[in-house]
Amino acid sequence: MLTQLQLRNFRCFESLALELDAGFTFFIGGNGEGKTSILEAACVLLRLQSQRTSTLSPLVRVGAKAFAVRGRFDEHALEFSYGGLHRRLKFDDVDQRTATEYLRLARVVSFANVDIELVRGGSDARRRYLDFLGTQIEPTYRSTLRAYERALRSRNALLKSATPRTREIAAYDAPLIENGTRLRDMRATIVDRLAPFVRQAHHEISVTTEKIDIYFSPGAAEDFAKDLAESREKELRLRQTVVGPHRDDVDLFVDGMPANSFASEGQQRTLALALKIAQARVFAASGSSPLLLIDDIFGELDPDRRNALLRSLPNESQKLVTATSLQWRKDFAEGHVFELQDRQLHLR
Amino acid sequence: MRRTEYPEALRNLIAQLRQMPGVGPRSAERIALWIVQNKADAPEQIANALRSTRESVRPCALCGFFATQELCDICADESRVVDLLCVVEQPTDILPLEKTSAFRGRYHSLGGRISPLDHVGPEDLRIQQLLDRAAKEKFSEIIFALAADVEGEATTNYLVDLLKGKGISLTRIAHGLPAGGGLENADELTLYQALSGRTRL
Repeated sequence: MLTQLQLRNFRCFESLALELDAGFTFFIGGNGEGKTSILEAACVLLRLQSQRTSTLSPLVRVGAKAFAVRGRFDEHALEFSYGGLHRRLKFDDVDQRTATEYLRLARVVSFANVDIELVRGGSDARRRYLDFLGTQIEPTYRSTLRAYERALRSRNALLKSATPRTREIAAYDAPLIENGTRLRDMRATIVDRLAPFVRQAHHEISVTTEKIDIYFSPGAAEDFAKDLAESREKELRLRQTVVGPHRDDVDLFVDGMPANSFASEGQQRTLALALKIAQARVFAASGSSPLLLIDDIFGELDPDRRNALLRSLPNESQKLVTATSLQWRKDFAEGHVFELQDRQLHLR
Repeated sequence: MRRTEYPEALRNLIAQLRQMPGVGPRSAERIALWIVQNKADAPEQIANALRSTRESVRPCALCGFFATQELCDICADESRVVDLLCVVEQPTDILPLEKTSAFRGRYHSLGGRISPLDHVGPEDLRIQQLLDRAAKEKFSEIIFALAADVEGEATTNYLVDLLKGKGISLTRIAHGLPAGGGLENADELTLYQALSGRTRL
């Protein structure tokens, strides 16, 4: 459980500190007050990445050189500061050379309005979804993904070069295939683990009896090396690597029809929610209840689905929730409420 | 009011010192003050050492290690095994290998590794020199001791592709558990590599 959180030069906050309890904590305030940034700080502190952006530089407050987040989670002190080249990690006040030990501590699942993009958006949203989960349950996922991306970017840079670099491109084939095959296998396993939970969660929060199917769709054939060799002509023409896990996708179906084009917006939202609840349940099933960051979605759900969602979230999980107002909360008295005004927190 | 500062000469010295690796503004200032306040001739001795080192130390013509003659001590040592070569990324990688006393052959430092993202290509490295040596020196085995990351692996593959089929045995150093360390201290990736690189008993 996250018991303390401190922000310094993070997004719009020069300095902010708060103490947190188990169960629900609500953050209310107008648009632009920084509610989401508090959730983001919790995510960055625990996972060293933002649920909103792929790079950390936009998180540094304008005019500052670096941000720092600090906190306590399950009796451990965590500290992370970042500013361009400067990057520092402390676990129980000891500097960490690698993030391995640090990242072993906590799990996070983030719910937000943009989650609908998981269903109707491009495949990169679904790969990020798998990666966010994978880096939290599979200890070698993060380093494999990094190595794959490095090999891919190197290879693409060579394919774009003006002079032929065939021998150098071939030299990057082995690390690409080796890391790519491992990444593909880990992603396939993750989708297998998710699938029953997605169906179950969907069944609980939707009032219908729609049938959900979820399949992993790999971006390369089973034999990645062969597929890569056979794509050589095409990649020289397009000047980029055309097969591999960077083309992986997750195919979603509602009653046998592709969810991105045939499902209604309501169906898509419900499925996106089920995907996130499933993520939380995969963690819970592996023995660690995740911190849930719920950004501005409670207020917009109709009461039935809100209650269904509340029932489906792992009970033992700590939950940080943002909303513009709490009028919808009449039937629901649990938890602390913080009000954000002029970058200050007030406990209500 | 105008802010008082150090004299121009001292400011210049601080600026020069800051060019050195690992020297930030505070360290540069402390070193500069030590230089101007020193009562003995330590700063002059440092100046002499700087000049003479710059003049006398250069890369070995054969392997790229630090030398004061045309050849470094290792390449000039006739007691070394002549048909064994170890390829490393940087000349500084040679000393740790030497300390093991496990290797009695000679070295070749590439001066880096192939890294398209850092704009380093084979033409920027001492690869042609390696091929020339392989053609001339009759090695029975070439050992690759490059970093165990994407660029290190790609550079090894590149060199193996150039050197294969010449009757030289090409090997790569093992990746795995640190000596004396139990399994519980190893991170998952190291264990994974140790498992996939296991040896038959």
